[in-house]
Amino acid sequence: MSRDLEDQILEAHAQHDQMSLVTLYQKAGRIAEQDGDIDAACFFWTHAYVFALEQAHPARDDLHARLVTYGRET
Amino acid sequence: MATDLSVVRQPIETANGLSNDHYIDPVVFEEERQAVLFNSWSGLATAAEVPELGDAKPVEFLGVPLLLMRGKDNVVRVFQNTCRHRGMILVSEPKKIEGAIRCPYHSWCYSHKGALVSTPHVGGAGHNTHENIDRDTLGLTEIPSYIWRDIVFVNISGDADPFEVVHAELLERWKEFDSPHYHGGADSTFTLPVKTNWKLAVENYCESYHLPWIHPGLNSYSRLEDHYNINQYGRFSGQGTYVYRQLTNDAGDVFPDFPGLSEKWNTGAEYITVYPNVLLGAQRDHGFAIILEPTALDETKEHVHLYYASQDTDDELRAKNTVQWREVFEEDVFVVEGMQKGRHAPHFDGGRFSPAMDAPTHCFHDWVASRIQIHREQQQAKSQAAE
Repeated sequence: MSRDLEDQILEAHAQHDQMSLVTLYQKAGRIAEQDGDIDAACFFWTHAYVFALEQAHPARDDLHARLVTYGRET
Repeated sequence: MATDLSVVRQPIETANGLSNDHYIDPVVFEEERQAVLFNSWSGLATAAEVPELGDAKPVEFLGVPLLLMRGKDNVVRVFQNTCRHRGMILVSEPKKIEGAIRCPYHSWCYSHKGALVSTPHVGGAGHNTHENIDRDTLGLTEIPSYIWRDIVFVNISGDADPFEVVHAELLERWKEFDSPHYHGGADSTFTLPVKTNWKLAVENYCESYHLPWIHPGLNSYSRLEDHYNINQYGRFSGQGTYVYRQLTNDAGDVFPDFPGLSEKWNTGAEYITVYPNVLLGAQRDHGFAIILEPTALDETKEHVHLYYASQDTDDELRAKNTVQWREVFEEDVFVVEGMQKGRHAPHFDGGRFSPAMDAPTHCFHDWVASRIQIHREQQQAKSQAAE
């Protein structure tokens, strides 16, 4: 994960900005997936999914599907 | 040592009231907490406190952390406010739950209906399932609840008979008032903190004997002889009046009536305690509820709520009504606090009832005593089974 993305995530946590956290963790997951690190990708998508669930964010179904695909969610 | 309840359960002519220990002894308070309040249907809150879909409000009842929640399906439920994982408090302040209830500790997530829907990293980082974590068995613990006249009643122990069974006679008695009751809003609720055991607030509310002395203003038009006792032993008690008079504003306007009431209610009104801790008033044009929250052995919060037949009532008249009831209920404060102080007199024997005037109070004492007796028998049976 880039330093810039990490800073954005930390700032979103500090602001309790769950909607941004969904987007940022989604992005972190995609980058990890592109790098071939599926465990890291699922770690980030898990965070995105949890915040999406909490906020009824429209990305929750897509995130759930991704986690199911990699056997990380039911 | 267990208190003697046999004197309480005598006929009113020879009975004494509950002994001092029931008001000043922490051990008895603890016993009553379980026997009288947790094992029954106690008033917790109003549904109006969670008016919109997704509204969640943490509520404590005698130290038990609960969560009042109106789900997306518009059903109001009560949950234990703790995560099934590490027992962390889930919701610490009133808020709207947009999607899931997320535990702030390890982020286990629950649906509005309490189902466990996510267990992040429970099988290791990025692995959100584990063969030993069966989500279907780990939903939030729902506390049995029942809403009547907007009051949310809960049975904390979970083993009481259904509310409709326990209170069948009262539901039948007031079935004419089954039409919607609309909470008057922020100007129609207030809380009175009183330094008394909660039972004394019930006892004072149940009887009309005190009206001419404590509420001379009320007695000017609603005299003692215009009232009648309501005592359903083992069920509920209170008082009624034949001369209820509607509040008016300067223009002579009144609140609209609840629809479909029979003639009896034109000038009649009733004030009944739903045992253990909810004091209700039923009148043609508005109702009220006082939920007694016991916060300590000798401290109680009286949460007062006023209800109307319409969502659209006159602001000025509503405010006047709140002021009027507040004055009445405040007049009772020195009485219930005085009786509480009186319970420290070592030679007070629980008191002697007037057979003519105090039956509603004796009815309540008799019910409390019966609940404690049942609890003691259950505890004894458990002890014997364990030996």
